[in-house]
Amino acid sequence: LSAFEELPEHSLSELGDDELIAYMQAARAAGADEAVKPALAILVYGYWDTLVHRALLKLPRSEAEDVAGETIASAIASAFDGRSVGEFRSWMHTIMSRRIADHYAARNRRPVTEPLASENDEGWGEEPAEPFSGDALHARDCLDRAYEELDETHRRVIDLYVLGPLPAAEAARRAGGTMSEANVHQIASRFQRRFRELLDEGDT
Amino acid sequence: MADPQQIFEEYKAAVEAGGSADPQPYLTFVSGRDREQLIALIDAYLERAPRREFDPLAFRRSGAAPVAEAAHRSLTGVGGLWPALLPRLRNRAHVRRDQLVDELAARLGAGAQRDKVGDYYHRMEHGLLPASGVSDAVLEALGTIVGSTREALRRAGELPAGGGRAAAGGGVFARMAGPSAEAEESPAAPPRLAEEWDEVDRLFRGR
Repeated sequence: LSAFEELPEHSLSELGDDELIAYMQAARAAGADEAVKPALAILVYGYWDTLVHRALLKLPRSEAEDVAGETIASAIASAFDGRSVGEFRSWMHTIMSRRIADHYAARNRRPVTEPLASENDEGWGEEPAEPFSGDALHARDCLDRAYEELDETHRRVIDLYVLGPLPAAEAARRAGGTMSEANVHQIASRFQRRFRELLDEGDT
Repeated sequence: MADPQQIFEEYKAAVEAGGSADPQPYLTFVSGRDREQLIALIDAYLERAPRREFDPLAFRRSGAAPVAEAAHRSLTGVGGLWPALLPRLRNRAHVRRDQLVDELAARLGAGAQRDKVGDYYHRMEHGLLPASGVSDAVLEALGTIVGSTREALRRAGELPAGGGRAAAGGGVFARMAGPSAEAEESPAAPPRLAEEWDEVDRLFRGR
């Protein structure tokens, strides 16, 4: 039998996502099914609002929680089984993006008079087939392209400052090297301009 | 019309200050391309957000609690993602469980065994029934009722989310009026003798 050791909640809270998954796998292997619960609670609660709010950007409130719930259940299950790719958070958001894209496409295809939900709403267990579509999804694609055009240091600035929580001075310090606060503002400004430029170009 | 970058900064500031991260109120300030720009910025920002610190009280009050419970049933049961999926599909279709069971029994031609169908459906929602035994006829009927497909339901149920072991759901098993509990406690257990089975057993456990 596995030498599984049950951890208290405060210790579990300090574990990273992938460590929590590993803990749940160990608990499951040891037959300690109840020990899985607190780890699951920490993981689901930790990302619940983020997922719901991401869904709310593109879906009505009535559908956002469904998509968030399906996403996190699917992400945890696939991570649990070793079918996920890369780190948990990134994998979960990839699933979320695809679920939204599929949902969006299905809703757009569905005539307003059709009474039933689309048969394509559930993509459990397989990679969703629909490509990104819709203006809001196209905008995200433009943002990602603008980001990918940057070198690693500048991407880090964007992660820390534009799309992260830090003020410019702190982002400059964390980025290291000779990065100054003024540099951070310049990089951010260029990134925003390039993003908008791609967006205004349309689908080209 | 407001500047999307400025609105985005306000959104970030509200989130960092511990406020609600609900983006919808912020989207009302912009339209057209500006709105698309704002949506993409918030989306990318949320995607990078770290895991929130656990708060047991807030967890119990949040929509995360039933999701975690369903995920637990999936991970420790034998029904793949059905515990997470089936209740949501049912809710989305605005069908109460008793209504669903009535219709499922009728569609399966088992109206006289409605309670037995209900017990089996209960097991499906709780991850206590191996998907491999559930017939296409059941999934077809269920898909029609909740607005899904036989294939999608099959895929979800057969995802090896759990380790192939049924949860120790004593309370659930104690409620069963149909097939024996011990036969379900281990998916690997041999089926009961054929003569003890009826058509409903075959539909849900015989595939």
